[in-house]
Parts: sequence; C-alpha cells; structure tokens
Amino acid sequence: MKLLTATTRYYLLLTAGLFALASALLYVGFGWALRNEVEELLYNRQLHIQNLVASGLPLPAAAFTDNLEYSQQPLPLGFSDTLLLDTVEREMVPYRQLTFRLQPARAVSAPQWLTLRKSLVETEDVLAVVLGVMVGVLALLLLGVVGLNRWLAGRIWSPFQRTLAALRAYDLQRHQPLNLPTPAIEEFAALNQALNSLSERLVLDYESLRQFTENAAHETQTPLAIIQAKLEQLLQAPTLMQDEGTANLVGETLRATLRLSRLHQSLTLLTRLENHQFVPTQAVPLQLEEVLRERAAMLEPLLAARQVTLTMHTEPPLPLRTMHPGLADSLLQNLLHNAIRHNYPGGQVEVFLQAKSLAISNTGPAPTGDPARFFERFQKHNLASDSPGLGLSIAQHICRYYGFKIQYAFTEVDGRHTLRVQFA
Amino acid sequence: MKLLLVEDEEALRQTLVEALRENGYLVEVAVSFEQAYEKIKLYQYDCVLIDLTLPDGDGLDLVRTLKSDGSAAGVLILTARDGLDDRVQGLDLGADDYLTKPFHLSELNARLRALLRRRQFNGHHHIVFRDLLVWPDLSEAHVRGEPLNLTRKEYDLLLYFLANPGRVLTKEAVAEHLCGDAVDTADSFDFIYTHMKNLRRKLQEKGADEYIQTLYGVGYKLLKE
Repeated sequence: MKLLTATTRYYLLLTAGLFALASALLYVGFGWALRNEVEELLYNRQLHIQNLVASGLPLPAAAFTDNLEYSQQPLPLGFSDTLLLDTVEREMVPYRQLTFRLQPARAVSAPQWLTLRKSLVETEDVLAVVLGVMVGVLALLLLGVVGLNRWLAGRIWSPFQRTLAALRAYDLQRHQPLNLPTPAIEEFAALNQALNSLSERLVLDYESLRQFTENAAHETQTPLAIIQAKLEQLLQAPTLMQDEGTANLVGETLRATLRLSRLHQSLTLLTRLENHQFVPTQAVPLQLEEVLRERAAMLEPLLAARQVTLTMHTEPPLPLRTMHPGLADSLLQNLLHNAIRHNYPGGQVEVFLQAKSLAISNTGPAPTGDPARFFERFQKHNLASDSPGLGLSIAQHICRYYGFKIQYAFTEVDGRHTLRVQFA
Repeated sequence: MKLLLVEDEEALRQTLVEALRENGYLVEVAVSFEQAYEKIKLYQYDCVLIDLTLPDGDGLDLVRTLKSDGSAAGVLILTARDGLDDRVQGLDLGADDYLTKPFHLSELNARLRALLRRRQFNGHHHIVFRDLLVWPDLSEAHVRGEPLNLTRKEYDLLLYFLANPGRVLTKEAVAEHLCGDAVDTADSFDFIYTHMKNLRRKLQEKGADEYIQTLYGVGYKLLKE
C-alpha cells in the first residue's frame, strides 16, 4: 500500500464518520427547530384567538376547516402530532396541532376546546432542501479536502519519491556517489544528505579496497620476484652440486615461493571478481569449444601421467559467449584440472558442451566432506595435496560474475562427480 | 648481444643482470624512466627489457617511444601488473613478449633467446651445442648429422634447455614453460615426466648420452660437457 493511499484511507474513514454524524445531527436539529417554529406559530395563534374571544369578538372564520376545530367535549390539552387526509394530494399529511380550552367572555356559554393545526409538509420540504444543500456542500467539502490533501501530499512527498527512485536505480557496481539534491523540506534534506554521505562512504570503501588489491598485487609480486630470482641464482652455485641436501632446501624454498605467488594471484583474482574490477570492454566473443580444446591440450601431459582419459561431447550449434578471455581460460582450466586431480589413476573425464550448459564429469573417490562446501575457499578434498584448494572457488566466482549457475552432483551408482555450469 | 634492462628494483636488477651476463649478454641498466628514455634515444640495443611500473613514469610510454622511433630493438615487458589486463595492451603497442613477475630466470632466457632469434636472424639461425645442431625456425634437430624425430613439446623442451645451458632448471620452471598457467606446483612433475623421459630416450638413441642431468628433488641441468 502506498503511503498516500494509506493516509487517504484513514482520512476518508474519519471524515466519512464525521460526515454521517454531522448529517444526522443536522437532520435532527433542523427538524427540531422547524417543529419549534410551528409550535410557536400555533401558540401565537392561540393567544390571538384567546384575546379575540376575551374581548368579545367572534372567532375568526377558519380559512381551512382543517386548521381549526371546535369541540364541546374536553380534549387532551397541549401539542400533539396527527395525520390528516389532504383532499387535493389524496395522501395523509403530517400535522402539528395545539389544543386548548377556550373560556368565552360571557360566562353563559359553555367552554369550548379548540384545536389549531398546521401542516408539517412545508417544514419537511424545507428540511429536505436545507438538508440536501448542507449535505451536498459537506460532501463537496469532503471531496475537496481529500483531493487537496492528496495533491498536497503528492507535492510534498515528491522529493522523497525522487530519492526513492534514485536509490532504486543506484548501481552498486558503478561506484559513483548518489549526489541527491537538497530539497526545501528539512526532513527530506536530512535524509538525502545521510544517503549521500552513505554512498560516498561506499565509493571510498570500494576505492580503498580496489587500491589495496592493486597494491597487494603489484607490491607483493616484486619482492616475490626478487626471492624467486635470487633462489634461482643460488641454485646455480657450483658448490651446491656437491651438496644435495642444501640444493634440496633451496629447491623446496623455491617451490614454496612459487606456491605463495600462485596463491597470491588466485586470491587477487577472487577479490577482483568479487569487486567487479574487470573492464567490460575487454570481453570478447569466444567459442568455448575452442578454449576447452586448448585447455585440454595443455593438460594433456597431466592426463597422460595420471592415465586419465578425457572425452569431449559437443552438441552444435554452440553460440559465441562474450567473456574476458582470461576468465574463460581460468574457468575451464580450473574445472578440467579439478576433474583430473580428483580422479583415480586410469579414470575418466567426460566433458559435455551444449548451447546452454557445460558439464564436466569425472570418476573419483566418493566425496568425504559436505558437497555444499566444495566451493568454499581452501577446501581440500585431499589433505595430502599441496594445492591450495581455490580452484572451484574461482570457478564459482567466475560463474557468478557472468550470471552462470554452477552445481555439483555425485552419483553413487557409477561413482561420478559432475560439475554443471548452466549459462545465463 | 646488447641489452638494456629497465628495472627500478635494485635487488631484482642485480640478479637479472648477473643471470643475463652469465648467458653472454652485454647488459646495460636504467633505474628510472628518465634514464631509460635517455638511453633508448642515444644508443642502439638488440633488446630492451622494460619494467612497466617505474617510479617516474609508465614503462608503456617507453614501448611507445621505441616504436615511434622505428627502433630495431626487441621489446620484452616485465611487470608485476596483473597479466590478465595489461598483456593485451603491451603487445598491442608492439612489445614482442610479456613476462609477469615473478618469473623464472630460465624462462626469461628462453623468451629472450626466441625473441632475438626471430628478430635478428630471419630464420637463418642455428644452434650448435656439443654434438647437437638445431635449426629452430625449421623445427629441426640433428645429432652428428642424424635427424632427431621430436614431437612439438619435446622440441620446445630441447630449445628451452639450449637457452639455459649449464643452468639448474627447476621442474616447476620447465613445467610452466611447457604448459603455462595450467601447471600447479603440486603436479608439475606429472606435466613434464613423459616429455622428459622421451626427449632423453631419443637423445640417447642417437648417441647424445648424458646431456641432461637430473638433480633429485630439484630439477634438471643441460651439461655443457
């Protein structure tokens, strides 16, 4: 429910109640006032007639017999309501009547009871007209007020609506501050200001993160390069040829340095993926089949050493996919390498490439951990391996970056692990 | 062969100079953009090795200068910048090759050798090493006149060793040379095992015995004699 609808709804409920109450009060009040008026009229006539009679003048001839009635019999005194037939309209018409005892001036005559009547039809008409007008005016007023309220609210809330629209359209990946205007209404100005500083903070945080990643990437690689170069030179020392133990130490240190540098590259890649730090213009249309064959060829020696056979099944037509070539390489490389690494000697790797999906399935020992955690960083299926366990995490991040879905499944029957990438 | 090494990091520069001189190159150094700019304007080099991140300038501008001057020097970019992004730009500007830090010195030797060969000899270059005669541009190799029948990878491997005679090459460096980033330190030996075995067998069959020495746990070495 919109804010405006909500306020209008409450407003309408309240005013409709008040409107009904006012109409009822108006009706009762007017009715009472008009009746009073009639009663006063009748009462004045009574006084008039009594004065006439007291001063010995005859009773005035009634213009309409309806309006005046004599009776020798005593009648209940005072005001009362009655219905009489209107001979013209042929319908019962309400009357207000006043009955009083008339004592003639000369005591000889017997007292008479006189009833004065006044039709209430006119007063009812008046009541109807007045009530109609009043209710009409009230209704118009109500509508006007509701309309005005809506218009005003729309106007006053418009900066808020704009803020809302700006927030909704805000692209977190563009790393631009919001730059909302400062509206005249203080609360909205404060809101916009708070949001502006929030977005600036976000941009700053992103910027510092980006700088950190870049610095980490550049600055750490340089000392690593120095260590690696020095160790390689150390390995060339002639004295080491006689000293196998020390040569081994240098070799191991060099290997650890390489691992560190690889690990560093992988983590930097992950961070860059998470922060969307890849320039979209570097993406090119790629035929994944080609990349796949290229990568498989690179892994050929590993396949041979592990006696693993790799078979590719492609189902043309295969559309081109627009991807960063490095990321496409990395994705397929990691998936293939993973399928070979966690395999039996003499096992199989099967690759199914279709227009909408890529599935890489391999034989291998049943998974030991929770399959849902395979994509987490530093998850090692095989503790003895000195691979850092970032491959699947990188694959998942690349998939996420391109909006692909990646799933792992293990089928017990044939003991196959399958990683399926569903292209967006 | 005269080289110019543009590298601001002293420790790395020293090691690189040492390794390059060992390989018989005449090496000059520039420690800043300014110095490098001056040198490439004044002198002729066979190859310029450029670090992209210099304190007083962008190495890519040096590549631009070399290219706009129509310099005959080969250009090899060495960088700590992320390879995924800069590789394309550097090569687009006319650099001949690209190495991301950290790199193996043996890999640098191999790349440099290939680069100079391509630029300087127009395919009429051969390598003589002990009893070996290799024509890199024809992909041919002979042992005492007898042709060696090598696969693409084995040939590549042989050239790699020939670019680093007498140097200890770690198995990781060899594996990375052959299979690039597909290699993990964890399984580098698996990557080269078959190729190494076959190359050695083929050399041995032609009488080129004991050319490649195995250093257990470390790597290999092409023996000069």
